[in-house]
Parts: sequence; C-alpha cells; structure tokens
Amino acid sequence: MSIELITLLCMLVAFALAVFLLKLPAGVSLMISAVTGALVAGEGFPVRHLVEGSFGFLDPIMIIATAMIFMKTVEATGALHTISYHMIKSLYRHPTIMMILITYFVMFPGMLTGLSSACILTTGALVVRPLMAMGMPGIAVGSLITMAAVFGEIAPPICIPVMIIGGGVDMPYVGFELPLFLASFPLATITAIIIRFRYLKEFDINEVLAKMEKPVSQKHGIKLFIPIFVVVVLLLLDRIIPQYMPHLGVPLIFLIGTLAAFGTGEKIDFYKQSSLAVKNAMPVMAILVGVGMFIQIMTLTGVRGYLAITALQMPEELKYVAGMIMPFFGSAYAAASVVGVPLVFVFISKNEIIVTSGLALLAALGDTMPPPSLLCAYAGQMVGEKNHFKILRHSLFYIILSMITAFVIIYFADGIGSALTRY
Amino acid sequence: MKKNHITAIAFLLLAAILATLAAVEFIGKREKDKLFPAEGLTRVGKLSDYLHNLKGSNGDTDIYFFDSGVPGGTVLLLGGTHPNEPSGYLSAVLLLENIKVTTGRMIVIPQACHSGYTCTDPMEGLPADFTLDTRSGKRKFSFGSRVGNPLDQWPDPEVYLHYPSGQKLSGFETRNLNRSYPGRADGTFSERVGYAIVELIKREKVDLAFDLHEAAPEIPIIKAIIVHEKAKELGAMAVLNLEFENLKYALEISPKTFRGLSHREWGDSTSVLPVLMETSNPIQGRLRGRTNEEMIIYGVDKNYKTALESGKLRIEYDPDGEPLKIRVARHIEGFRAVVAAYNEMNPEKELLFENIPGFTEISESGLKNYLY
Repeated sequence: MSIELITLLCMLVAFALAVFLLKLPAGVSLMISAVTGALVAGEGFPVRHLVEGSFGFLDPIMIIATAMIFMKTVEATGALHTISYHMIKSLYRHPTIMMILITYFVMFPGMLTGLSSACILTTGALVVRPLMAMGMPGIAVGSLITMAAVFGEIAPPICIPVMIIGGGVDMPYVGFELPLFLASFPLATITAIIIRFRYLKEFDINEVLAKMEKPVSQKHGIKLFIPIFVVVVLLLLDRIIPQYMPHLGVPLIFLIGTLAAFGTGEKIDFYKQSSLAVKNAMPVMAILVGVGMFIQIMTLTGVRGYLAITALQMPEELKYVAGMIMPFFGSAYAAASVVGVPLVFVFISKNEIIVTSGLALLAALGDTMPPPSLLCAYAGQMVGEKNHFKILRHSLFYIILSMITAFVIIYFADGIGSALTRY
Repeated sequence: MKKNHITAIAFLLLAAILATLAAVEFIGKREKDKLFPAEGLTRVGKLSDYLHNLKGSNGDTDIYFFDSGVPGGTVLLLGGTHPNEPSGYLSAVLLLENIKVTTGRMIVIPQACHSGYTCTDPMEGLPADFTLDTRSGKRKFSFGSRVGNPLDQWPDPEVYLHYPSGQKLSGFETRNLNRSYPGRADGTFSERVGYAIVELIKREKVDLAFDLHEAAPEIPIIKAIIVHEKAKELGAMAVLNLEFENLKYALEISPKTFRGLSHREWGDSTSVLPVLMETSNPIQGRLRGRTNEEMIIYGVDKNYKTALESGKLRIEYDPDGEPLKIRVARHIEGFRAVVAAYNEMNPEKELLFENIPGFTEISESGLKNYLY
C-alpha cells in the first residue's frame, strides 16, 4: 500500500472519528483530518501550509457572510415575504410552468456570476418560502434549489469550471454558449418537471396565502425592492459593461445592497440581523476553512496527485469513469483544475469544446458533494434542515441523471459538435 | 466563566499563535533574493522608470543593463514571469551572473512578476523557496505563485476581460502577467506591469526579446519555442541549429486568437521579435505527487512516470526526471541558438556575448559553477 493511500485513509478515518465519535463540527473535523494527514506523511505540523490552505476559499467565505447579512436584512424589511406572496399569487394557476420558471429564476445569478452559491443565497432564498407554503417538503425544495444552482453554474454566459479547464489547457473561452446551454437547460427543465409532479400536490391558494406573512408593498411601495434592485443591477453592470465599471467584487455588492435596505421597509435591527446571519453562516464558513486546509495537505503529501493518476490509470474502456470521479472532489473548482485539465488531454481526439462542457457539468456537481457539500449546506440553511446530507441524499437521482447526461455529451462530443456547428 | 467561553478563548489563543507563526513565514517571502551581476553590468534600473505609478510597489522589479558600448542590437530576457517556473528565473540569474557582452546590449529582468515571488498559491502545497549549492555555498532562491500576490490586486473578478481584445478568461488569470499584455498605464496592477514592460521594449528599442517559461508535462507546448509570426524564420533557423546538437525543440507560431501573451502582444504592439521558450516542470502538473523542494530541483515524480508508461496522456517527461539543471541548460542553449540565428539574419545589429556556458557544460557540471 502506497504512503499516499495510507495518508488518505488516515485522513478519512480522522475525519469520521472527529465527526461521529467526538461530535465535532465538520469544519473542525476537516482541520483535524488535515493535521493527521500531514503527521502521517511525515510533514510534521506544517503551520504555513495549514494557514495558507485556510485562505483557499477566502472569497466564497466573504460572499457567504455578506450575502447572508443582505438576505437577513431584506427579510427584516419585509421585501422577501412580499415577493414570495406575489410570486405565488400570480403563478399558482400553472404549476408546471411556475416550477420551470422558478428553476430558471434560481439559476439566473449563477448564469451571470458563475457562482453556484449565489443562486441559493439570492434567488434561491426568495423561492424557498412560497414553495414550502404550497406544501412542498423542505428537503425537496432544498434539492430543487441545489440542482438549479448546479445548472446555473454551468449555464451560459459565464461558466467558471470551463474557464478553469481552459486556463489549464490554453483554450480561450469562445464558442461555449450553445454546448453549455445544452448541458444545463434541458436538465434544469426535466428536474423542475419531476419535482413538480412528485411533490407539488393540489393546494388551496387562499389557504396558502393565509398562512403566509402579509405583503408590505402597499405600506412601503416600490422602494421596498430597492436593495434587491441595487444588487441585481450592480451584478449585471459588472458583467455587461466591465470596461466602464470598477470591479467591486460580489461581497462589496452585497454590502452596498444591505446599506441600500435602510429606510426602504420595516425597521431593521441591524446588529441583531447581522449577528444572526453570521451565526447561521458560521458552520459553512468553518467547513470552507477546513476544506482549504484539507486540500492543501492532500496536495502537499501527494494524495491529490495519487487520486488524479488513479483516475487516469483506469483501463481504456473505463476512461469515462475517470470523468465520473470528478464530482467526488467535493468542489467544482478543485475537480475542474485537478482532473478536468488532464481529462481534456485524455479525450484529445474528440471535440474539445463539447468535451470541456461535459466535464464542466461533472465538475459543477462537485459543489454538492462531501466533504463540504457546500450547496446542500446552503440549501439546508434556507429550508431549515439541520442535516444537509438529507438534501444531498434527496438530490442523488438528479445528480446521477446529470452524470449520465455528461457522459452522453462527452461520448458523442464529435456528433454534438458538428450538429451545433450546422445550426 | 462558562465552559464554552473557556473553550472559545483557548481556540482563539491557539489561532492567534498559529497565525503569528505563519505570518512570520509569509512576511519572510517579501525578502528579495540577493543576485550577483557579472562585471560588465552598466546599470540597474527599475520597472517604474517606464511607468511611474509602479514606483515602490511590488511590481517595481529590478532591470539589469549590460551595454558593451559597441553598436549592435538590443536583446531583452525575462525570467520569472511565472514565479512557479524556476528554470526561467534561474536561467536569467545564470546569464546575469556570467555574461560578458562584447557587441550590442543585453537587458535582463530576472523576476518579471516580482509580486508573485511574495506569495504561493493556497491549496497547492508549494514550497516557499529552494536551496542550491553554488560557488559561495548554499544559496536560497525564491519560489512563488503563478500569478501576482492578491495583496497587490484584489478581488479577482469572476471573469477576466483582456484589454483591449475583450477576450474572456477565468478570473484568476487577471493577475497573470502573461495574460496582461499590452497592458495599460491606468489599468490593474498586472496590466500596469505588462504596460511597463511593453514601454521598456519600445523606449529601449529592443530588437529581440525572450520570455522564459515552464509548463506541466501534460501541456502540449512543452519543450517548444513559440514565436510571433514575424519571427517565424528566426525560430525555424534556431530549431534547426538545435537539431544539429541533438536537442529537440518544437517550433510553434503564436495563435492570433489567444490574446494577452508576450509572444502575441509584444509582436503586435512593438517592432521586437518575441520568443517564448518552455521546459517541462512536474511541480506545475496536476498529476504530481508529493510537492516539495526536491521536485523543483530534481524534477522526479512517480506519477508522471506512471502516466508516461501508461500512454494515456501525451506528456513530455523523462522517466529519470526533469532536473532543474537540464531545464536551465535547455533555456540557455535555446537562447544561444536564437541569438546566433538573429545575428545571421541581422549582421548590421549583431549581438555578441562571451562566458555563457552551453547545454553540455551546464548539464554535465550542474548549476553550481555558474552561480555565485
């Protein structure tokens, strides 16, 4: 047994013991696992590497903190439940169309920013309440917004996993719009339809509306929606006219949106709302710190390379299996960078744009997978489900469906490529 | 005091101790490598001489001028465009510490992306530096990130829009010097560094310019010489001459659609003949195993050996390893061959040097004899 495999096993055992035996939070358990890996591999206690790794997800951590503060603030103004109320009232007559539109709506921020987490933390948060008020179980709603976030990350115009793979193989981000549309929208539509028929039962609209908080739009008027408008406009301008717009960064945009919320609706106890937001987001942020350390130690000790070479070593007829391993990296960006780049070369004889689009879909699924299960954890926060692995378990069918789609895209890359060129 | 408060304070103290220990190491990365230029050095300039707003910043790297006083051409050589590609940096240092220019002028920038030498990339497990045996004993050389330090340019956008083409790349590339050319005077930190280098090429009337790189063994451009189309003949002649010495280099022409790179933008925006060279560096690879200083120096990696033997990937990797001395030797020999071809094609602007070791000398005796 190689030292890398021993190290990996020790890291996994340390993680499991910390979570299940010592009942420590997942973030702390990941840190313990990283330290164990370093010790087993003979690296001692590499302080620099542990601290450096903890900064690996600094940007997402800041996005989560600021997005949660923003959402709590607009919730306190009454904007959130007002939107939910009107959304149900205007769409309840056509539940299938409503479900599909809601899914596209959740995908929208991901399409623009390339961030799957933005889908759950912004539009995802808006649809949770109406869907649950219509009688859908929280786990099913969590599953829907999780999958919509994955598809939003892949959907054009912006797909970061493709850009990461492209950066590794010197391939410009050109000609990906149609392949990425193909890899995302049909799956999103199918997922929405399945969830609609499985979970959205007959409901009495008056009963649902009666259960919900009353809208405050009449009291505050259009200014209630100013903060959401500010965030959407700033995110859009950042993408549409970047040459004229200073790059603010997503965290700053959320903070500007939060400031814009004051005086637009009900009175806000900002200290209370922001404390609550950070408290809610803390477990997810700790997980990201832990995952950063975990990956850094995996790389340092050669475990990451061991996983990548093992995937590539599979027999010729099983080389597609290497692609199917991508989601299990637990992060879209890590999967795209570590396995995505070599796999483009493995499938070098095929249409590389189509292959990369398929690989990006597989990589994006990584955001749902442990150890961080980031999207499921966010979705859990939104629907009030403490055990976010239940959402992951519930999403497995759609994840497998997406993996099969990715396989088909990669396998028939040349045919799809020439068909798309023709049209 | 409640029990959970005590636990919280204990964890905060532990975090503070770890952060302090790490901070000492991170701050240590800001210390500059000491270089020992050869006797013919005429002056040391700064990149801010070509763009004032870089003054005092991490982009204000040193520029070494060797002027023979005899009329001829001017050649520029960049090492350290990507600080995680040590053969480019070491080749520049080797030339800097040995060269004697007898005709024309040589300009050397050993750490083109100086900012990148002040940090390493999170989650990559990279060493902060590496130590080599040199004439003066053990000598430490910096190793860094592929891109500039986020402390100099942050936050990264999700999508990097290259100026002026509008080409889209991953947001991380916004700090990549070799995606920033031709740059702009009032742009991002990386764009300003890129702009200053292009300004240097224009103001110093550089005729021939080298940008020395490395890449992961699975990247197709390994062991290649990449030239702008206007330097096609020059590159072909050099590659042919290298073939006679049993050294294989692939000649690649810079793609017109891939923007921001030195071999494309230097050629498009100035009259210089740009040449980029690549060697095979396992520590950059996605398949690499244990990541440490030895991998930089000896370039031995069992995963790449396995990948090579499996034939699953088209990779350029010597099963015995890709040692730093050989990678530097290839760059130096490539430089010599291109300059020789340039002299043949431009006798009125000759570039003549002495005291540059050849491939055989470096590969046989190692780097020790050529570094102070």
